[in-house]
Amino acid sequence: MSGKVTRLVLTVDGQKYEVVARPDATLAAVLREDIGLTGTKVMCEGGECGSCTVLIDGNPVLSCLTLAVECQGRYIETIEGLADPISGELHPLQKEFVERSGMQCGICTPGMLMTAKALLAENPDPSEDDVRQALAGNLCRCGNYKRITECVLAAAKTMRGGER
Amino acid sequence: MGCSQHIDATSVTEAISILQSQGDKAVLVAGGTDLVGMLNNRLISPETLVNIKTIPGMDYIREYSGGLRIGALTRIRDIETSAIIREYFPVLAEAAVSVGSPQIRRMGTLGGNFCQEVRCWYYRRSPATGKTFTCYRKGGNVCYATSGDNRYHSVIGGKKCFAACPSDMAVALASLHAHATLAGASGTRSVPVEDFFIPLGNILKPGEMLTEVSIPALKPGSRQKFLKFRHRKTIDFALCSVASVLEVEAGVVADASLVLGGVAPFPYRAKAAEQVLKGQPLTEDLASEAGAAALRAARPLSLNAYKVTIGRVLVKRAILGVDM
Repeated sequence: MSGKVTRLVLTVDGQKYEVVARPDATLAAVLREDIGLTGTKVMCEGGECGSCTVLIDGNPVLSCLTLAVECQGRYIETIEGLADPISGELHPLQKEFVERSGMQCGICTPGMLMTAKALLAENPDPSEDDVRQALAGNLCRCGNYKRITECVLAAAKTMRGGER
Repeated sequence: MGCSQHIDATSVTEAISILQSQGDKAVLVAGGTDLVGMLNNRLISPETLVNIKTIPGMDYIREYSGGLRIGALTRIRDIETSAIIREYFPVLAEAAVSVGSPQIRRMGTLGGNFCQEVRCWYYRRSPATGKTFTCYRKGGNVCYATSGDNRYHSVIGGKKCFAACPSDMAVALASLHAHATLAGASGTRSVPVEDFFIPLGNILKPGEMLTEVSIPALKPGSRQKFLKFRHRKTIDFALCSVASVLEVEAGVVADASLVLGGVAPFPYRAKAAEQVLKGQPLTEDLASEAGAAALRAARPLSLNAYKVTIGRVLVKRAILGVDM
C-alpha cells in the first residue's frame, strides 16, 4: 500500500527519535521497525493479548492499537528503558522475573513488566488480587500467571524497601 | 490510495466538516482500540484519519438536576472509577469494568464503545488471509452466519445482519433510559440509546458524530445490576449480558427496566419481562417468570439457542441482585 508519510519526533525511554511514518502506522510498528526497539512484542494486533503494552505518560496502553502520529510530545516507556540506563542494573521487577522464573517462553514478558510497572507506580502495596486485576489484559500462553503474580508482589516489597 | 493524512481536529464543527467533505474516505479516531485493529487487519482503508481526542471539552462526567451528562470522549476507565457513577448509577460502573482489559479501558472512550464494529467473524475476516466475506454489512446480499457458524450471533431482532451489538456501555445506559446526542452540520439531535443501533450499524448519518450521552434523574434507592456472561472472564465480549434497574417499594416492583446485550443487533429492551415485574411482589418465582418472558421473542439460529438459556438465568439473577 502506498500513502503519504509524515515526519514524527517521538520520545522513547528519554531519548528523542525522528522517524518517517505513514499516518496510520501504529506505535508498535514504529518502535520495532523504524526505531529498532524490538523488545516490545506484537502478537494479536487486536487488543486481546497485551503483549505490546508500553507506557505513555505512565499509562499502560496497547502500542499495536495506538497511532504513532498521536504519540508526539508524549513520554513513551518501553521494556528497553526499564533497567537503569547508566549502570544497566535490572529493575526490581526484572530481577524477580529472572530469580523466580517469571517467564517461560518470554513473549508476554515485556508487556507484563510494563503493565506491572504502571501498577506499582499507582499502588506500591498491591494485594494479590490487585496484581491479578492489573494484569488481566496480559495473556500468558504458557499459563505462568501464578509465578508472574508472585514476582510482582516480591518486586513491590523490594521497592517499598522491605526484605526480599 | 492508502492513508494519506491524519488531522488533529480542534472542534466538533471541524470534525463534522471534514466528514462532510470527505464522506466515507474519512474516519474519526477516538481511543482507537477497535478502529486501529481494523486498520491493522485491512478491514478499512480510509484516506483521512480524524483524531477527535484533540477536541477540548468532550471528556467529562457532569451532574445536572439529578441526572448525568457524559462526554463521548470520556474514557471507560473514568466511568468505571467515577465516584458519582459508582454511587448513583452502579449498573453503569459494573458494565464499564466488564469492558475489554485494563489497557483497553484506559484507551477506549464511551463514544468509541458505541461506535465500535461488530465482532462477527465473517465480517471481521481479514483480507490479509486471502478470503473476504462480502456480507450485507459490506454491501453484499447475504449473511454468512445464518447458514454458517452463528454461535455468537443474535437470537433476537436480526435483519439482514445477525451480528450482535458488542457495546456493554449501551446496554447499561439503555437500562438507565439514557439518550445519545448526535451532532451534525444542521445541529444536534437526541435519540434513546437503544435506538442508536440498527442491524447494519447505527443511525449516524454521513457527517454526524456522537458527542454526549445523558442519563435522566433516577429515583433514589433503585436496585441496579449488570451481569455479563463471556468465555474469558478477564477480557471478552458478552455472549449475553443483562442490565437491570428496579424500583422496589415495600417489596413490590414499582418500575422495572431490563435490557439485554449480546443477543440482538441492538441493546434489547425486554418489555415483556418489565411488564411481568411491574406491580408484583418481588419473589424468586417472579424473577424466573421475568427471565422466561425476556427471551420469549428469541428465534435462535442453528448454533446459538444456548444464549436463550443463559439469558433467562442472567435476567433472573440480575433481578434478584445476585452475582454470577
